[in-house]
Amino acid sequence: MECFGESLNQELEDLQEHQTAIETKMLSLHKMLPNLQLLHTDSRQLSSMVSFTSTLAENVSGKVRQLDLAKSHVTACMQRVEDVLDLKFCTDGVQTALQNEDYEQAAAHIHRFLSLDENVLRMTEGSNEGSTLDTSFQLLHEAESKLKKIVHKNFDAAVHSKDVASVERFFKIFPLINLHDEGLTKFSKYLSAQISETAETNLNQALSVKSSDKRSTVIFADTITLLFEGIARVVEIHQPLVETYYGPGKMFPFMAALQKECDRQTRKIVEKFKESRDFTRKVQKVRQSSMPRATAAEKIDPKELDVLLAELTLMNARAELYLRFVRRRVVADVEVSQEEDRTEKVAEVDKFLSDCDLSRLMQELVGSYIMMEEYFMKEMVVKAVKMDTYEGGAMTSSMVDDAFFIVKKCVRRAMSSCSVDGVCAMLNNACTMLEQDFKEELHSRLKLGFPSGFDLTQAYNLVQSSIQQGKLQSSDTEKAKANFLCMLNDTEVSSDYIQTLKKNLQAEITKVFGHVHQHSQEKLESCLSELASVSNKFREVREFGFTQLYSAAIKPRIKPWVDTFSATSHLIDDEEFTNYEANDPWVQAFIVQLDNLLNTFKASLTTGNNDTFVSHVTTEVTIQLEKAVLKMSFNRLGGLQFDKELRALVGYLTSVTTWTIRDKFARLTQMATILNLEKVNEILDYWGPNSGPLTWRLTPTEVRQVLTLRVDFRGDDIKRLKL
Amino acid sequence: MEDYKYLFKVVLIGNAGVGKTCLVRRFTQGLFPPGQGATIGVDFMIKTVEVDGDKVKLQIWDTAGQERFRCITQSYYRSANALILVYDITCQPTFDCLPNWIKEIDTYASSKVLTYLVGNKSDRLLHREIPAEIGEHFAKQHSMRYLETSAKEAENVDRLFTEIAVELTKQAKENFLRPRQDSTSGKVGMPNGGSSPVGGLSCCKLN
Ligand SMILES: Nc1nc2c(ncn2[C@@H]2O[C@H](COP(=O)(O)OP(=O)(O)OP(=O)(O)O)[C@@H](O)[C@H]2O)c(=O)[nH]1
Ligand SMILES: [Mg+2]
Repeated sequence: MECFGESLNQELEDLQEHQTAIETKMLSLHKMLPNLQLLHTDSRQLSSMVSFTSTLAENVSGKVRQLDLAKSHVTACMQRVEDVLDLKFCTDGVQTALQNEDYEQAAAHIHRFLSLDENVLRMTEGSNEGSTLDTSFQLLHEAESKLKKIVHKNFDAAVHSKDVASVERFFKIFPLINLHDEGLTKFSKYLSAQISETAETNLNQALSVKSSDKRSTVIFADTITLLFEGIARVVEIHQPLVETYYGPGKMFPFMAALQKECDRQTRKIVEKFKESRDFTRKVQKVRQSSMPRATAAEKIDPKELDVLLAELTLMNARAELYLRFVRRRVVADVEVSQEEDRTEKVAEVDKFLSDCDLSRLMQELVGSYIMMEEYFMKEMVVKAVKMDTYEGGAMTSSMVDDAFFIVKKCVRRAMSSCSVDGVCAMLNNACTMLEQDFKEELHSRLKLGFPSGFDLTQAYNLVQSSIQQGKLQSSDTEKAKANFLCMLNDTEVSSDYIQTLKKNLQAEITKVFGHVHQHSQEKLESCLSELASVSNKFREVREFGFTQLYSAAIKPRIKPWVDTFSATSHLIDDEEFTNYEANDPWVQAFIVQLDNLLNTFKASLTTGNNDTFVSHVTTEVTIQLEKAVLKMSFNRLGGLQFDKELRALVGYLTSVTTWTIRDKFARLTQMATILNLEKVNEILDYWGPNSGPLTWRLTPTEVRQVLTLRVDFRGDDIKRLKL
Repeated sequence: MEDYKYLFKVVLIGNAGVGKTCLVRRFTQGLFPPGQGATIGVDFMIKTVEVDGDKVKLQIWDTAGQERFRCITQSYYRSANALILVYDITCQPTFDCLPNWIKEIDTYASSKVLTYLVGNKSDRLLHREIPAEIGEHFAKQHSMRYLETSAKEAENVDRLFTEIAVELTKQAKENFLRPRQDSTSGKVGMPNGGSSPVGGLSCCKLN
């Protein structure tokens, strides 16, 4: 309640304040009243003045409008008089021209007549001019249809008598008498007939070419090229004629008409091509041979396809080139003639071109080509794998180079077809083949494993001596080992080859397909990038190979060598220390054996694989040594001895590797440092703030553990350390 | 470097005229193209979607249904992470062809590919020739997922592609989180096409 009362008070106070403000304003309004009255009278005067002016202006402008109207009547009248005069002139002129067979002149008169507005002129009928006008119109209409007949007839006659000049003469007259479409149709028919004639001659010639002729294997590609070039020439010659006399925007119907003939001729050539190349049977055969259960005897020899594939790609390349030419010409014309909806019109052109018979026929051929090319590639690679040989001295076997040679050949051939979809499909097929067939082959061979239980070094020596004595070629184990390493190399090289292939193809694709649409380029790019992931899959197989090698040849080999180290006492006095210096207890022998191992493999591994191998070996050495150290006991001199031994080992490994080995030995080196201390507390000179550039790889617990290996260090001192 | 976490390939297949291109255009451009012409060869589009805050790039390959392009389109199956097999619910022959398409998938695609059966043109109710249950039953028989869509009315189109993106991302994450197996028994040793079918190390990219 109290709260409510308070807010009520507040409101009342506010209202009072407002009242005083309102009163002040009222007062000032009262003062302004006389001024307002003055203003009112003034504005009324102004308004009457304005309305007077406006009436005046309207009167004037009305008169001007009337004048305008009168003037335009006069102009129209003069125009009409002129037209009537023209009409008379045309009527007389056309008769004379027709009589003189001056058809251009006659057409010009008709053209003028057709541009007149007949209905308007006829409005003058009823006056005495009427009857003469009527006759004029009648005469002109008669003349028009007469001229049309004459032009049609004479054009046909000219075509018949192969009178090129007359053909062109009448072709130019058609548009004058509004017969654009008829003219273009007749003209393109005439040109088509010429194209057809030449094409027929060319095809017959092609069919009679002897197989000894050096063009005989691509004769149909040559023939189709002649067809395209012929049409291109026809367009080249007649395009200016069409543009000049028929105006812009006529190239599309003109080219479309010619395309019909092109389609017809292409069909004929493709038909003959299929017939004489035994195409349908081969396609059928390849389809059957691609079935998984096809036996070797049923299969078609891929080499039989080689020549055919080349011709197919050439045919398509020519067709692509030609279609691009047509498109360029038509689109350029669309661009000058079409003000709006240009993209729509261009889309219409594109649709026409991609739907025409030529395109369809080529799409079918490319489809068959892809199937056969895939078969060719796969079968050739299978052959290469079957005939795989491995020559002593070589790092890889023959199938790697052979397989990649084939893949490259096939993808490149696809590229030569200029078909973006064809190249994409072949890139996909190449990836599939490499991954499913080739990689799996390598993988299954690596799965056989690296034979263990037989010392390679011994075997090597044994085989060498056996060969020298001519007793034995090579033991089975030895062969299996060599094969395994060769496969490991094959896998590594393959993965590199794929990267190189990708890079090279990329460059070539940019060159060949630089002109195609951005969208198509992205498509190509995407298919190409699949190669990278295939390359990685080969890497995985290589890794798998190394795990095999590791468990068979690295781990078990190093074990006994490290055992010698474990068996060497590092609790030694001065005398023994000196004695060790003279007669090294283990490390020199270890290095010799290691050196032997590395050298034997080095001879059989590629640089990349050898690096990986050495890396695996060193890692294994450090792991096993570390384990051994932690099981041993040391005194001061023993620690010194171990430090010396480790330095010798690191020194050796540094000398045989290209990368820095010290990092791998960091933990062991730090262990040696600890074992080499004078007293426990000395560790603090190297630890924490005193560590300087040294980064400890051992945890405090591990440091303590190593310290306890020193029999002369007291457990309490170690425990008391603050690490 | 583009900003995405996973890249998946989605391939659409099915008879000519069933509406594959329209589905893709609806999804990628949000429109129903008037007078859509038949696809020549293979077309491709990209759309990035978000799945649980991760950018997922879908590379969509729209294949031509016409027979003469079959050799070209087949080459895309193997690397597909998902396949969308489309038929037209108002056109019995497109449904009758499905077994042939299944055969193609079995021959060329990876065995673990995610496959959707899609009955398109669901807006043309009065002209329906294949009841939804029949389509669904067929899908189940061939262990495919089933959806009916309309590219025209934007019905289920986003859902179709989103479901695919979600499922593939899920699979990729599982593959990735699974501890790397010993190569002797792991993915390297798997049969053809089985090697990392989804995402995994090969077809997804981590930035
Ligand atoms: N009513 C209706 N019509 C559709 C739908 N989707 C596509 N169409 C029509 O179906 C026809 C074919 O569509 P496309 O997308 O070109 O078919 P496609 O499967 O890509 O055909 P190809 O490229 O030849 O394999 C077009 O006329 C579309 O307008 C839909 O959801 N509803
Ligand atoms: Mg389409």
